[in-house]
Amino acid sequence: MGAVAQSAIAVEVDGVSKRFSHRVKGDVYAARNVRFTAAPGEFVTLLGPSGCGKTTTLRMIAGFEQPDEGRIRFGNDDVTHVPANRRGIGFVFQNYALFPHLSVFDNVAYGLEVRGEPARDVAARVGDVLALVGLTGYEHQFSAQLSGGEQQRVALARAIVIHPRVLLFDEPLSNLDAKLRVQMRTDIRELQRRLAITTVYVTHDQEEAMAVSDRIVVMNQGTIVQEGTAEDLYHRPASEFVATFVGRVNLVPGTVVEADGDGATIAALGTTFRARARGALQVGDGAKLVLRPEAIEVVRGADGLAARVVTRTFLGEKVEYQLACGDTSLQAIRPSSAGGEAIGVGDPVALHFADETLVALPASDR
Amino acid sequence: MARHPSWVTGPGPRRDPAATLTVGILWLLLALFVVYPLAALLARVLFDQGRFTPDGITGLLVDRNQIRAFVNSLLLGLGVGIGGTLVGLLFAFTAARARLNRTLLTLLDAAVLLPLVSPPFTSAIAMIFSFGPRGLITYDLLGLKGVTVYGVTSTLASEILTYFPIAYLTLRPLIAGIDSNIEGMALSLGASRWRVFRTVTLPLAIPGLANAFLLLFAASLADFATPLILAGNSFPVLPTQAYLQITGLFDLRGGAVLSFALLLPALAVFLLQRYWVSRRYYTTVTGKGAGQAPFDSIAPGVRAVLLAACALVALIVLYFYALLLYASLVVALGANHAFTLAHYRVIFTDGAKAIVDTLIIAGIAMPLGGLYGVLVGYFVTRKRFPGQRTMEMTSMLDYALPGTIVGIAYLIAFNTPPVQITGTALIIIACYIFRYGPTGIRTTVALLQQIDRSLEEASNGLGAGSGTTFRRVTLPLILPAFFAALGVVFIRSMTAISATIFLVSVGWTLITVKILQDMTELALGPAAAFSVLVVAIVFVMIAVIGQVLNLFRAQGAPRMTSMLGG
Repeated sequence: MGAVAQSAIAVEVDGVSKRFSHRVKGDVYAARNVRFTAAPGEFVTLLGPSGCGKTTTLRMIAGFEQPDEGRIRFGNDDVTHVPANRRGIGFVFQNYALFPHLSVFDNVAYGLEVRGEPARDVAARVGDVLALVGLTGYEHQFSAQLSGGEQQRVALARAIVIHPRVLLFDEPLSNLDAKLRVQMRTDIRELQRRLAITTVYVTHDQEEAMAVSDRIVVMNQGTIVQEGTAEDLYHRPASEFVATFVGRVNLVPGTVVEADGDGATIAALGTTFRARARGALQVGDGAKLVLRPEAIEVVRGADGLAARVVTRTFLGEKVEYQLACGDTSLQAIRPSSAGGEAIGVGDPVALHFADETLVALPASDR
Repeated sequence: MARHPSWVTGPGPRRDPAATLTVGILWLLLALFVVYPLAALLARVLFDQGRFTPDGITGLLVDRNQIRAFVNSLLLGLGVGIGGTLVGLLFAFTAARARLNRTLLTLLDAAVLLPLVSPPFTSAIAMIFSFGPRGLITYDLLGLKGVTVYGVTSTLASEILTYFPIAYLTLRPLIAGIDSNIEGMALSLGASRWRVFRTVTLPLAIPGLANAFLLLFAASLADFATPLILAGNSFPVLPTQAYLQITGLFDLRGGAVLSFALLLPALAVFLLQRYWVSRRYYTTVTGKGAGQAPFDSIAPGVRAVLLAACALVALIVLYFYALLLYASLVVALGANHAFTLAHYRVIFTDGAKAIVDTLIIAGIAMPLGGLYGVLVGYFVTRKRFPGQRTMEMTSMLDYALPGTIVGIAYLIAFNTPPVQITGTALIIIACYIFRYGPTGIRTTVALLQQIDRSLEEASNGLGAGSGTTFRRVTLPLILPAFFAALGVVFIRSMTAISATIFLVSVGWTLITVKILQDMTELALGPAAAFSVLVVAIVFVMIAVIGQVLNLFRAQGAPRMTSMLGG
């Protein structure tokens, strides 16, 4: 890339709300008091199910929508009322939004020409950025002639060629097939690191979010429910929603028998577990135990919590078990091993739990 | 970095002055050339000598002649609606389901295109040539004497032949869009082909049939030239009565009252078509059809019958136009069949002024009408401003109403100050822009609905303002609509008569008006020559526009469904 990106800036979303009026429900919040900051150069992902307000929030950062309340700041600039075309953003749309009447070159050159860059600089910079995304030689093609992955790369090139202050992605990979998705998300992440542009990325795919992000902001029903690194969310979910939305999980109901500073002892499955506590847990309250499938060790014999194998699915590098532990059904995932005697359906097994991975949530919490 | 970044921050004006100005100008034009004339027409009906009086309308209710004209108009519309829809259905079903090869399809389309782009009374003239007192068929072929072609039958037949293409264009995409797997499913469940057609295909096509019927009903209601030539005294209809009232009796108010009587059913049909039928399309139908039918939905015998029926109608159409050409090249059809170019000499000398005037007016109306259509279409779909839906409705008024009403309204409104433009070319040009520009609105709206908003947002996000975005992204994408609108405005400017017959003057006249004069003076040769000329010019224009549209299609712009859509 010819020029180096200017020093990265923070993106601050400060208590932003967006209302719209619904025919039946009246005023509905698409986003409500959304507040987070992406540090300079940071890659932040907004993650949540459809309708959670993540795209609305992103479009407000871009300036395509006006917030009803709150401010949006790029570095020290309050851009809340600055129109999208003067914010200096690079936006990658879900459908790519390539101009169908323009060639690849003209698509990428568009933002530079709008800024009045001299033609020689434009040609050079478009050439550089096309090389960067691996599309040298495609200059004169039209978008209809490109594959989905190639269109995605053009959209990316078009967004970064203008040296945006902020890069914004709206579910950019959802129109690609699974293999390409993995490839593209790696490329996007690498590119973002090299350019060091502050990035806000929207997706509903938790695996994608974990793969690309420095930090993930989980949203549900218009509000932020938790933010943190992928590890934080996975190992220390603050709510049942996050526990179930990020990764696979067994939620086992139990009762608090002991609670102290940062831990609790939970009675469940006919035994007791020592778990990290999230939220207020009082002795005698109901609780939900977060058991990740890979934290359950399945062994032959009777030394441990007794269970029975209901189904066993061999998936190559791992084996998935459906287990019956009393009345409770549990999922477990174990790495597969070539040697040893396989555990079969109907076999009685013993379960072991890695205590340090367990989290207890208040039962009523959603 | 070559220059300082252009994202100057701080709260800037959100309003877009260029857009506000354009909306203001469009409203001004609509108020002056659509609302004001219609208001003037209504005022003329409801007020006499400055005082409110209902006697205009009550007078209508007791005048038996006018009531007859009203009933006749409705009956004719009903007949044309039913007949034209049936013929259109025949063509549409055959084209969509009979597995025709390309050549046959092209022939079918050509037969359909001819009446659509001709002056509306060409088939009426050919009718007289064929079935008149000295008609080629009645007199020469059958030896009948003293027959009269004038009356309801010939009017009905002529209008059906003229307007069935509208039904065809409405129904064909609809039937082609019905997923033939649905029909195959019914067949696999044991239904016969006829039963499948009756219980699956036809019910799915019913909204389209209703739509086609209403469009044809409206077209017949508005048709002025065909009844004027063919209906004769025995079958008066509203548009011709209004015309005679004004040009024969110089009774402007009487004409206004009659056109008001025409307004009611026309408005009813317009509202019905817009708010009822168009919302009843089945969603499965609008989806993409399964290209090739997995089975033969028509039995071989039936296919032959359908093809024969289509061929017959197509042959009649072709025969009519061949006859027109022949009549323009002989001394006097029916009497003296010696070859001559005299009629063409006449139209290029005596008729030269009409030809030049028509071309000038069409040439001016064409770009303005196209621009108007694209602008209104863009603003009503892509911009948010108060009165948006009202603007769309208002802009479609002159397009939807019969030309007779629009013509009389213009005549009343612009005959006196403050805006006195009767007798100028301007009044005819304005009439064409606001009457035919709306086809551009419709094609623009249809195109814009296919273009995702994110394209404009992408441009916006890359730093382009709304003006640059319109110029560099939206406009190139809706150019096909612009060119289609150019074509339609030009073609209609060449062939229209119902409104402009009231607006021509000594200073500015039109070919179509000249043809009508020739017909009434029984100068049939020059009338035929004029008609051939108009058809020729229109075909050249269609070819040119088609080439231009192909050019844009090659660049990957969204496809135009039909340049004559509507």
